[in-house]
Order: sequence, then structure tokens, then C-alpha cells
Amino acid sequence: MPSDDYPRFRSHFRPRTRDGRIAVISFLVLFALTQPPFVHTVANRISPWLLGLPFLYAYLLIIYIALIGVLIWAQRRGV
Amino acid sequence: MDVWVVATGLIFTYLGVTVVLGLTANRRLTPNLEDFLLYGRKTGFVILYLTVVATFHSAFAFLGSGGFFYTHGIGFWVAGSWTVLVGAITYVLGTRIWALGKKFDYFTPADMLADFYESEAVRVVVALVSVGFTILYIQVQSRGLGYILVVASGDRISFELGTLILLVVAAGYLIAGGLRAVYWTDVLQGVWMYVAVWAGALMLTYELFGGPLALWRRVAVERPDLLTLPGPEGFFTPGMWIGFMVVFSFGIIFQPHLMIRYYTAASAQTIKWLGATTPIFLMTLYISAALIGLGGALAMPDIEIADRIFPEMLFNYAPAWLTGIILAGATAAAMSTLDSILHANMTVLTRDVYQRYVSPDATPGHYILVGRVIVVALLIVGYLLTVNTLELLVVLVALSGAGALQLMPAVLGVCFPTRHLLTRSGVLSGIGAGMVTLYVTLVVIPHPLTLHGGIWSVLINFIVTIGVSRFTRPPTAATVWRIHGELERFVYGDTEELRRQS
Repeated sequence: MPSDDYPRFRSHFRPRTRDGRIAVISFLVLFALTQPPFVHTVANRISPWLLGLPFLYAYLLIIYIALIGVLIWAQRRGV
Repeated sequence: MDVWVVATGLIFTYLGVTVVLGLTANRRLTPNLEDFLLYGRKTGFVILYLTVVATFHSAFAFLGSGGFFYTHGIGFWVAGSWTVLVGAITYVLGTRIWALGKKFDYFTPADMLADFYESEAVRVVVALVSVGFTILYIQVQSRGLGYILVVASGDRISFELGTLILLVVAAGYLIAGGLRAVYWTDVLQGVWMYVAVWAGALMLTYELFGGPLALWRRVAVERPDLLTLPGPEGFFTPGMWIGFMVVFSFGIIFQPHLMIRYYTAASAQTIKWLGATTPIFLMTLYISAALIGLGGALAMPDIEIADRIFPEMLFNYAPAWLTGIILAGATAAAMSTLDSILHANMTVLTRDVYQRYVSPDATPGHYILVGRVIVVALLIVGYLLTVNTLELLVVLVALSGAGALQLMPAVLGVCFPTRHLLTRSGVLSGIGAGMVTLYVTLVVIPHPLTLHGGIWSVLINFIVTIGVSRFTRPPTAATVWRIHGELERFVYGDTEELRRQS
């Protein structure tokens, strides 16, 4: 085990600012919607069509765009 | 004029342009290792953006992805999730790698890992993993290039000769201009491949179906099995979905040719913008691949090799000039990845092996010469591997990606300070266990329980790394202070916590 000489920084896996928390949580929630089990159950359908596209394809496209939006928002907020 | 003449002529025109760019880069080259290997660590956003996306998207994106949509349907739209994840990883991890590289003068992934874990064994193992698995990737790109020239020339240029020509050109401009030549050609290649694949997809879709929306409606009527999961052959199970997402994001990011790119950025903001915006290019390329693959499933349902669907459709339905432009774009996609891998392997072998263990005190000019000799050797090895192996493109990419994935615990241990330190014994044991698991779950018993072998291997790797690290000696406090302290300062500034502890 590391002795007392070692630094004890708070984990870098946890965001420390409000904007950081918003960005991480938003990204993780949206990303989870693109993964199983959600994508293989609720979203796994052709109808209803969205924007002229089959549901699963359009659903994923919309979330992917939203995820990119989160990254751009984080950059603009200086996260 | 015959299609093959136009197609082959345009590919050779494109090759000529890359050679000119390589020679121009050579004139700008200074006898400085950092300039030759890392573009002097001053790459701006536009060049870095285009080189990263061009490098990320390879022959696989051009050929394999259309083939995957063709065979397995919409399941390959998982590609969107891994491209978005690549952006997030670049944003969070890439900035940290950049900061450490700039502060401590790192050139390679092994530089960073060996420094933190205070271990030459870590350096050697990481260098071996980096080179060993990316040589497979050289083979993948070379095979893609060989296919393209065979198809473009209508079998008038043999696979072996086509592969050799394109390998020699890529190695040639790398030898001439170093990373600057690679980056400049990548700019051309990135733009060309994107325009080409979209032009091809839209032209074919309008020509055959009356537009993208009409194509989707036709697919829903004629092949509805392509529009839901897990696809016609039951391939995209939840385990495979997650596996593809992890292997093609983390697994590619941890390959040396992409990690080294982070070192070359001019600033941390450049990397953050890169992370935020690269998914736009990376993800939207797969939209066109879906049009090609699904359109192909309707128009040419009995094609023998699915990877060839795009060029086969072009030859059957597109005008000659467009076919030529698009096949040159496919060449660009493969070459931009190939030259980057050659460069990364040259950097790793020059820096981590030759400079470290053979001749530590030579001049920069000497190392540049050695690097060029190494490129020639890699060209020969890559060529021999290419003409002697028969595998599907995507399987090879998966193996390569999952191999580099084994660096994940070690890299996270350096770049994300926590109170639980990983140790050199931990990461070495983890990499070893991960490699064994990878072999078992990709080759002996492929994808047990329908979970991708890459996931099994990295799970075992994490368990072993963390377990062994609990009982073995961590890096010294001085090293942890130096490296994690620098990250603390870089990410959060000179905080009260940092001042209090130090």
C-alpha cells in the first residue's frame, strides 16, 4: 500500500465542477440509450418512421447527434 | 474510354499527388527528431482533424462497412456509437496524453507508460504489443489496397503488384518527409475519401432507387430483416454490439498511430475541439456506407464477397469518371491509415528500441536515417504478410484493435489519478492475461456466450491488473507526484488541494 508520502488527489474519474457533472451525466445517459438492452428491445423496431427513416436507424441517429452536441457544449463551457 | 482505364488512371494521378506532397514536405524537414517524428508538436486543428479522421477510417470503413450493412443490416449502425465514443475519449484522455507528452518529452505510448511504471519491461512489452498488432493492421490496409487496384484495373494489375506499388508509394513519402508528409497527404486523403464515398452513395441511391428515403422504404418492404437487430444472420447480439463499440473505439485509440497523434497537437484546446467534432466526420461516413450496403442488398443480392459490394456496384451502375474518383478515394482511405501505421511503428522501433538499447547517444540525423531504414524493413514484412495470408478484412481489424485494447488499464492508470495506484507487475500481468484470453476468445472459442472476445480479454486484463496491483509495489512517490501532480495541475489548475498536499 502507498505510504503517506504519496499524493492523495481526488479521483479524476469524478467530475468536480457543475458543468463537468452535467456533461458527464448527459453523455452517459444518452450513450446508455444507444446500448443494449435498450437498443435491442424498446428501440428495436421499424415503425413508427421518423423523418422518413425506419425507427431504429433514426432513433440512433438522433441520439448520436445529441451526444456530439454534449461534447461541443462541454468544449464551449470549458469543461 | 473504358472504365478500368479511367479508374486506374485516376488512382495513379492521386498517387502522383501524394508523392509530390511527400517531396515538398521533405524540403521543409529539419534534422530534428521531434520534427521528423512528431511534426514538431505544433499541428493545428485543421491538419490534425483531417489526419485523425483519415487515419481512423481505413480500407475497412470504405469496403468492410458497406459489406457489413449488406450482410448484417442496420446492426452495423453501432458504428455511430463507437465514433461518438472516440470523440469523448479524445476529449478526456487525449488532452491528458498531450499534456504529459509535452511536459515530459514523450514520443511514444511506451515512453509514457515506462516512465510512470518505472519499468523497462513495461517499455518493451508495450513496444512489442504496439508493433506486433499494428503490423497486422498494415496487412489489412495492404490487402484493401490490393483489392482496390485489382477491381479498378479489371484484374489487369495483379493483387501482389498492386499491393507492392501502393506500399512503396506510402513508404516513399514517409521516408522523404516524415510525419509532415504523412499529415499533408492525410489532409488530401481525408477530404477525398469523404467526398468520394458520399458522392458514390448518393449517385447510386438516386440512380437505382430514386433517393435515400425511397431506398429505406424499399428495404422495409423487400428486406425488413435488415432493419432490426440482431440482423438476418443473428450476428448483432447485445454482446457483439458492445464488443464492436469497445474494440473499435478504445481498441483503435490505443494503437500507437493514434496515440502518437495526441502528442503532436499544438495545444490542449486543439485536442478538445478535435474530440468534440471528429465524430461528425467519423459517424456521417457510415451513413453513406449504410446506403451503399443496403442498396447493394437490394440491387445485387447474390454477390460472393460482401466487402466488394461498393466497387461492384460502381462498375455496374456508375459512370467511369465517378468510379475512378471513388476508387481513388478508397485508395486514400487505406493509404492514410497505412502510412500512419508505418510511421508509428518506425517511431516505436526507433525511439523505444534503437535509441534506448542500441545507440543512445547518436545524432538526430542518425536516428532519422535509422527510422528510414526501419520503414523499408516494415514495408518488406508488411508485403510478405499481405501476400501470404487470406482473411476477411474485418476479422483482421478486430484482432488488431483488440490487441491494442490490452493497454487500456495501463494507460488509464497513468492518465486518471485515483487513490488506488496500478503497479508495473499489475499491468504486465494484466497484459499477459489479456493476450491469452484474447487468443482463446477470438481463435479457440470465438466470442463465448456471444460476447465479443475483445470484451472478455479486457475484462480479464482489468481484473488481473487491479488484483496484482493490490499486492505489489507501486511506482515511487516521487514519480506519482511528478506525473499525477502534473495532471492535477493541468486539469484543475494550481488548486488549494495541490498546494496543501505538496
